[in-house]
Amino acid sequence: MSTLVQVKELSKRFGKLVVYEELNFGVQDGEFVSIIGPSGCGKTTLLRILGGLIQPSSGEVRIKGRPVKIALAARELGFVFQNPVLLPWRTAEQNVALPLEIVGSKEHVSTPRDLLKIVGLEGFENALPKELSGGMAQRVAIARALAFKPSILFMDEPFGALDEITRNRMNLELLRIWKEERASISSIIFVTHSIPEAVFMSDRVIVLSTRPTRIEETLTIDLPRPRTTAMKNSDQYIKLVEHLRKVIGDD
Amino acid sequence: MLQPESLQPLFNVKTAKKGIEVIGVPIVFSLGIFAIWEMIVVAFSIPTYLLPPPSMILTELGTNFGSLLGHMGLTMLEATAGYALGNATGFALAILFAHSKYIEKGLYPYAIALKTTPIIAMAPLLILWLGTGFESKVATAALICFFPIIVNTVKGLHSVDSDAIDLFKSYRANRFQVFTKLSLPMALPYIFSALKIATGLSVVGAVVGEFVGANNGIGYVILVSSYHLETVTMFAAIMISAVGGITFFAVVSLLEKKIIYWQKGIETT
Repeated sequence: MSTLVQVKELSKRFGKLVVYEELNFGVQDGEFVSIIGPSGCGKTTLLRILGGLIQPSSGEVRIKGRPVKIALAARELGFVFQNPVLLPWRTAEQNVALPLEIVGSKEHVSTPRDLLKIVGLEGFENALPKELSGGMAQRVAIARALAFKPSILFMDEPFGALDEITRNRMNLELLRIWKEERASISSIIFVTHSIPEAVFMSDRVIVLSTRPTRIEETLTIDLPRPRTTAMKNSDQYIKLVEHLRKVIGDD
Repeated sequence: MLQPESLQPLFNVKTAKKGIEVIGVPIVFSLGIFAIWEMIVVAFSIPTYLLPPPSMILTELGTNFGSLLGHMGLTMLEATAGYALGNATGFALAILFAHSKYIEKGLYPYAIALKTTPIIAMAPLLILWLGTGFESKVATAALICFFPIIVNTVKGLHSVDSDAIDLFKSYRANRFQVFTKLSLPMALPYIFSALKIATGLSVVGAVVGEFVGANNGIGYVILVSSYHLETVTMFAAIMISAVGGITFFAVVSLLEKKIIYWQKGIETT
């Protein structure tokens, strides 16, 4: 395993407000890493800095040893946000086609139709976003993020707006998609505010503190893969969740 | 088990019922109002120059229909030309505003000044500059349409979700792509809301222009008939101008439904 993402002495300030000071961590090739922390600690900003959408105040992010800008330009990074941001005038298929259209590349590996099939939305190609449920809309957003076969998927609370049943189903779906697309997607960096979700999905959980934000703890989740719903009853899982609750100070 | 075919006629009955409600009920109400109006005029022997009965107005509409329609046609031509001009320039300016903070800060106060100055106060000046013909009416109609389109277009272009901007950033989309594929379609509901408001306003603008100086047009007919106490003609002209404004609004609303098929029109400003 080699280092895919390297974060070096990363700091971010908004005026006088110090968000992070000297964050250092890495994400290995093939790792599912969750970032969790109290609200207002800057999880969302951190994910956008890691993905090169926001500039840090100092320090740097390297992906496969190169500055993040290069990875972004090479379209090696895919993004899914909490809001699926589907364009309401486009059908599911046209939404998935959006990144390909913007880049104007004719030679892509998968067609939008194939991508929808991967996320389990075969037959919904012509549906408009207003006709899709929250879970389905997020599936379209995932399909769209897969358009360039990214090597890292950045996800910002992707299932945070969904009800619990749909969220649990989408968690399993994401793990299935990740497994099936492993040839391209090596790692997923996942921001969440749900401790059980972080434990269930991840190989490693990075816990952020309140501001000024530091890394409070990095917890390795050694539950076997593939993860199953039954594991949520295991002592190991329950202990990990309890431990994280204590670290975050969640009552 | 229910077959979809057996549901079809039920559905048709439902839509027919809805159609009756939307069109039929207002018609029944207006017939009722006309009847009461007619009865009041007769019962109290109200002089015709104050309030003519609907039957006389209808007769007037029937006998002078060609001439009234000719005047209204001219007014609608002035209104729609002004509408096109005002909305096009307002839209172009709004795009400039959305792309440059400096232009917005420099010109926005003038846009507000233009909005707060009564159109009737400016009409004489426009007649002086452009004459009593077609052009001055187009100008008054254009001026009155100008403000809603600017405000709503700017608001609409700024209404784009920041996650959507981040998404386009992640594709390294250029400004033109962000504008055509994201901001402009997002702004359409706002733009159409201004376009709908402007339909009625443009007719007002043209009629105001005609009041101040004209030899024809429906505003001219209304003004002259008031001088001569031809109240019946005046009522007929008012009704025709109302129908003109309503038709214009209905056409733009229909266009909105066709173009923004993906959501219901939102009301702003």
